Amino acid sequence: MPSNSVALTPGLASFLKSLKTNPIDTSIDDLISLLKRRQIRHSRSCATATAYLMRSVISATRTSDANKLIERVQYAGRRVMAAQPREMVVGNIVRRVLGLIRDEAEDDREGDFSLSEAGSESQPQTPRALDDPSEVLSYRHDGSDRSSSRQPFTSLSATPISMFSLLSHPEPETSLPGTPASASPSGRLLGHSHNKDIRAEVLDGINEIIDELGQVDDQIAAYALEHIHSNEIILTHTSSTTVQKFLLKAAAKRKFTVIHAESYPNNHEATHATISGQAPKDDDMLSTEAFQKPLIALGITVILIPDSAVFALMSRVNKVILGTHSVLANGGLVAAAGTRVIARAAKVHQTPVVVVSGVYKLSPVYPFDFDSLIEYGDVSKVIGYEDGDLVDQIDVQNPLYDYVPAELVDLYITNLGGHAPSYLYRIVSDHYRKEDINV
Amino acid sequence: MANPVDPALTSSVSASQPPAPEMQPSVQQPPQGASPSKPAKQQTPKQPAKGKDGAAAAPAPSGDGAALTPAELKKKAKADKAARRARERAERETTGGAPGGPGGQHAASAKKGASGPGGAGGKDSAAAAQQKGQKQLPRRGSAQATAQVGAAELKKKQEEKNVSVFGHLYGQQRRTTIAGAGKEVHPAVLALGLQMRDYVVCGSSARCVATLLAFKRVIEAYTTPLGTSLARHLTTHLSHQITYLSTCRPLSISQGNAIRALKLAISSIDPSVPEATAKSSLCDFIDSFIREKITVADQVIAGSAAQKIQDGDVIVTFAGSSIVKQTLLTAHKQGKQFRVSIIDSRPLFEGKNLARTLANAGLDVQYSLVNGISHAIKDATKVFLGAHAMTSNGRLYSRVGTALVAMSAKERAGGVEVPVIVCCETVKFTDRVALDSIVVNEIADADELVTIEPVQQLTGLPDPTAPAPAETKKGSKAAASAPVESSTASQSTGSPLEEWKESANLQLLNIMYDVTPAEYVDMVVTEMGSLPPSAVPIVHRMSTNL
Repeated sequence: MPSNSVALTPGLASFLKSLKTNPIDTSIDDLISLLKRRQIRHSRSCATATAYLMRSVISATRTSDANKLIERVQYAGRRVMAAQPREMVVGNIVRRVLGLIRDEAEDDREGDFSLSEAGSESQPQTPRALDDPSEVLSYRHDGSDRSSSRQPFTSLSATPISMFSLLSHPEPETSLPGTPASASPSGRLLGHSHNKDIRAEVLDGINEIIDELGQVDDQIAAYALEHIHSNEIILTHTSSTTVQKFLLKAAAKRKFTVIHAESYPNNHEATHATISGQAPKDDDMLSTEAFQKPLIALGITVILIPDSAVFALMSRVNKVILGTHSVLANGGLVAAAGTRVIARAAKVHQTPVVVVSGVYKLSPVYPFDFDSLIEYGDVSKVIGYEDGDLVDQIDVQNPLYDYVPAELVDLYITNLGGHAPSYLYRIVSDHYRKEDINV
Repeated sequence: MANPVDPALTSSVSASQPPAPEMQPSVQQPPQGASPSKPAKQQTPKQPAKGKDGAAAAPAPSGDGAALTPAELKKKAKADKAARRARERAERETTGGAPGGPGGQHAASAKKGASGPGGAGGKDSAAAAQQKGQKQLPRRGSAQATAQVGAAELKKKQEEKNVSVFGHLYGQQRRTTIAGAGKEVHPAVLALGLQMRDYVVCGSSARCVATLLAFKRVIEAYTTPLGTSLARHLTTHLSHQITYLSTCRPLSISQGNAIRALKLAISSIDPSVPEATAKSSLCDFIDSFIREKITVADQVIAGSAAQKIQDGDVIVTFAGSSIVKQTLLTAHKQGKQFRVSIIDSRPLFEGKNLARTLANAGLDVQYSLVNGISHAIKDATKVFLGAHAMTSNGRLYSRVGTALVAMSAKERAGGVEVPVIVCCETVKFTDRVALDSIVVNEIADADELVTIEPVQQLTGLPDPTAPAPAETKKGSKAAASAPVESSTASQSTGSPLEEWKESANLQLLNIMYDVTPAEYVDMVVTEMGSLPPSAVPIVHRMSTNL
């Protein structure tokens, strides 16, 4: 019976379930239609779905060539990204997977180079070097897989060919097995096993991304006590699990007051459910957070206000903590509609604005045309069917997102720590490779 | 309400009749006689018994009461008694006799406290009791000790639901019925009070006009009692009406200004003038006040504000201001081509009516809610705002959300500032000042924020999922219990906020107004001309001293 109820409403859960059984192309089409129909929404659900899809894409791709893998991921990634270009996390995950493959391929090649220099004794060690458990641990520890995996690469930068887009030029690969004639048979065999390892390593990397998606809120919440002091009045907007966990973590130790703007009409039901602690209806959200205690159960006073009252109350607010849909490379963010006026009102009142967001929401896209980032939603939420006569006569608008410029944000808190908006480009360049920015 | 100026008012009179009986079966109000002074009198014989009860019971519920010495106990009982007497007196005054305003009551209770045995302490307690008495006014009928304890608990619970920052604004609950209103209150005023409470008559000018029209009927029906003069007695008679109206909804600034002008006119009537002449002169005064200060003023404002609109303009406005509506319609009649973008907010959705009127008149209307402010303001060329009041420090006191719109217009990133034009009659000017939206505001019922879910099922067909889980529950209880519960729960709950009053620490805040800083306002269009916001106090002085 539970399986029936899941199948009734397609969403993240049903997609993940079907991923194991369906062939990969069906799964891609499945995700595309889910994204197009907006049956998977929210950044995290999209990111999780994409990560799982990428994992199946790679595990289904029998080829062992890194180029082929990249091609395959690019093909699938482009299609999924085109399905819902405004869900920027989809592109982010695809880019990170591509980056993973490129890194592994590069490390592999470096391994080959060092191997050809050192001789055949070190053969079995080099590919294992990345499987070193301490290294994996350090991944998990700071969450930035790129920075740590980059270490061997930079240290071996003496080999100039490997630095710059080795993969786009296949000639070193062909020349490589041909250099020492004696090593050529074992070398080819080795290369094969390397490539096989690439796939396994990439799958490991994707699993880490999936783990990161699961842990990101708790990692961010760990910084909560550094930012919330006692008796503070905090204003937040819409229901974001990241913000909720952040506040809950602080609520365990400190007493403060939360003013919650409801973000009518797009997300007010979820907001009401979050603050009153009643389980939300859609099973898309019915994961761990559905069983979470609400803030009011921890003795935190929560005041629900309509969005219009934000300016009136801002003079009493100490801090504005906002969730976001995605963060752009310039430090601006795309967040639920209404966030911009809240951030602006906070700026006018000199109230600090803190944005909490996982690194996976950080997109390398630089916005030249802000309007293209904004999605417009269901108009019937603004004017219901009971006012049908009005709909014929007037133009009703229901924007889902706002672009908030970077100057309105004072601080970003990601799972890597707190950053100024002007620093975000560094984190972007740590996480994505230049050649993947345009997938 | 013989001939309302506003056409909306005429329809509202008939529309509002049903809600009055509907409100009758309220929880708070035990069924009681139509004459409100009667229960107060009935209470008097009960008083000693209740006093004893109260004195005996007083130490028991309070935890610290156990440690009291007999002397202290005696003193406390005395203080209680004094307090009760004071309250009783206050009650009788507010319901039966002359209201005298709070000043008179204070004097009475203070005198009593001074003469009582408690001395300074007694005075304090008397004052507190008097306050308490006023608050408990609606549930006068239930005088039993247990009910009082229950009421206290209820009150405590109620206070927990009050947002502490706004604690000073939670005075009295809005009146729910006309029961308990003084017998002097005219039926027209009774009806108007309920209309104002239900937002049938909403908006500063509409409320002002409606009040004045109702008062005109009060004056027409008024006869001076023997032994007093009209100039003296009519003012007190009117204050009953005013007190009633203010319990339905706090008075607006414009209402206050109009009432002040009316009282001034009454008091300046020569006592030698015959009553009929005096009454007709007062009615004339009301008519001319409405005409000069509101009807004609609106026309003048609409005319001069419409001049500010040019072809190709995109006008942004917030909620539904009648004067902005008039301005836009005037400009449209002048043949100007422009677009209107209305921003609306929960819970009143006043902009919907404006959108409907404008669209019916053939204007190009765009409609969005507060979440779309930054999008609506993007291609705006002018912002027109209505006002509830203009404060003496040039700030605009208007429907909550106005400040956000004005701010967005001024802080548009990378663009030129959009001029913000406020349309406001001078009758809405006040000599009060406001720095933030917290000190002065109005709290509306928070239940208005609890969304009523639209009916999910529009067809008459039975829901196919509904009966199936119920059957399985009967059949295999253990296996299917969890999913069944979740499905039934999702069906039964309308809104997650429905039980917000039961869940601790959760508060809902529904304020009515906010204060827009003067620097966001470029121009105030009044019937006396277009001014900068800094000119508000000067104009206010001019218009009141005339």
